[in-house]
Amino acid sequence: MLLLGVALLAMLLPGPEGPLALYAATGAALTAAGRARAVLRGAVVCLPLWLFLFLLHAVLGEGPRLALGPLSLSADGVDVALAQAGRLGAIVSASMGVLETFAPSRFLDAVAERGWRFHGAYLFVATLQALPRFRDRAAAIVEGQRSRGLRLGGGMVARARAVVPLALPLMLGALVDVEDRVIALETRAVHAGTRRTPLDPPPVRRRDRAWWAAAATAVVLALTWRLWR
Amino acid sequence: MPTRLLALLPSAVAVNLVIGGIVAVLGLPLYLDAIGTILVSALAGIWVGMLAGVLGQLLFGLLYGYQWLPFAAIQLIIAAMAAWAAGRGGFATLPRSVAWGLATGLVGGLASAAISYQVFEGVTATGVTAVVTLLRQLGFSLAAAVSAASVALDLVDKAVAFAIVGVLLRSLPHRMLSRFPAAHRAVAR
Repeated sequence: MLLLGVALLAMLLPGPEGPLALYAATGAALTAAGRARAVLRGAVVCLPLWLFLFLLHAVLGEGPRLALGPLSLSADGVDVALAQAGRLGAIVSASMGVLETFAPSRFLDAVAERGWRFHGAYLFVATLQALPRFRDRAAAIVEGQRSRGLRLGGGMVARARAVVPLALPLMLGALVDVEDRVIALETRAVHAGTRRTPLDPPPVRRRDRAWWAAAATAVVLALTWRLWR
Repeated sequence: MPTRLLALLPSAVAVNLVIGGIVAVLGLPLYLDAIGTILVSALAGIWVGMLAGVLGQLLFGLLYGYQWLPFAAIQLIIAAMAAWAAGRGGFATLPRSVAWGLATGLVGGLASAAISYQVFEGVTATGVTAVVTLLRQLGFSLAAAVSAASVALDLVDKAVAFAIVGVLLRSLPHRMLSRFPAAHRAVAR
């Protein structure tokens, strides 16, 4: 809910001050909550994007120029780059905060507690849990094919040819896995249709509701202001 | 949803997310991040393909940030095109797969360019943005640079992705193809 609020506010607030202030507020809130690492990870993800925004809009942008040391920058381009950088920074930091606090089993319990359909939550969590297994398998396939003589270097065409022997075993393995998972799901009565009982559902505290209400209010205010202007 | 499709989706989405690592090892200017979506659409139809695409974007957002969520629309387009191709035997031969891939690349590239320009000011993934920057330096307008870079990269990317899925589908035994509702039609068997 908070992430959705940040994403909507990032799009609604006027730039560059609004998105930059939102990014600062998101970073401060995450740091205060002991999640400074999420802010750092977000900055690492955003760094190449910020660089390209600076190049594409500030350096190569059109309109009136302003001098910054030896650089001649587009004044409008600087505004566009700062606004977009703030938007990306706020959304990515908030996303990293969610990733740091996301616990798949707690998510499944919360979904079961609210009586939502199991399938959607299962798909999300099962895929999240399948990722490390597939990453390991991809690494093993790359090593295996190299040991059988597959060359990963050379020109573009030679490297493009190597995609098939690397991608096909991964995809074929994914299809073969389906059978095991079908048996596992059916033995757990996935289509029984009865309501599942969570063992230890995460409680929704008054503080959580207050934060959600604050985020919703901020979005409504920003939207109203945007429409009013 | 049948159990088999429920079991297929996590694997297909994982392929979408992991295949990028293989492409990175090869240093190719491709994404192939819709290969699982194309596979599922060909095997199980449009709605399951769309679900795989959206689920993949949601998970990608959780891992790398939700800033790219508007690109979920491209996954929907790819799923629709792949299901349409499968319905017309579009994976039966290599030339057919490549032709359908090029068509998907054109539609997806144009939609992707519109999203990149309108929502992201032309700055998205590193590879395509590097091409946009180069084109801007050559004097193209931002809109033209974003459109040209997106369409060119998507044409190659989707042609390769469709070709790989075609090779895989044609190599599958009848026994495995019969487990999925749309698979036989996709390879015109």
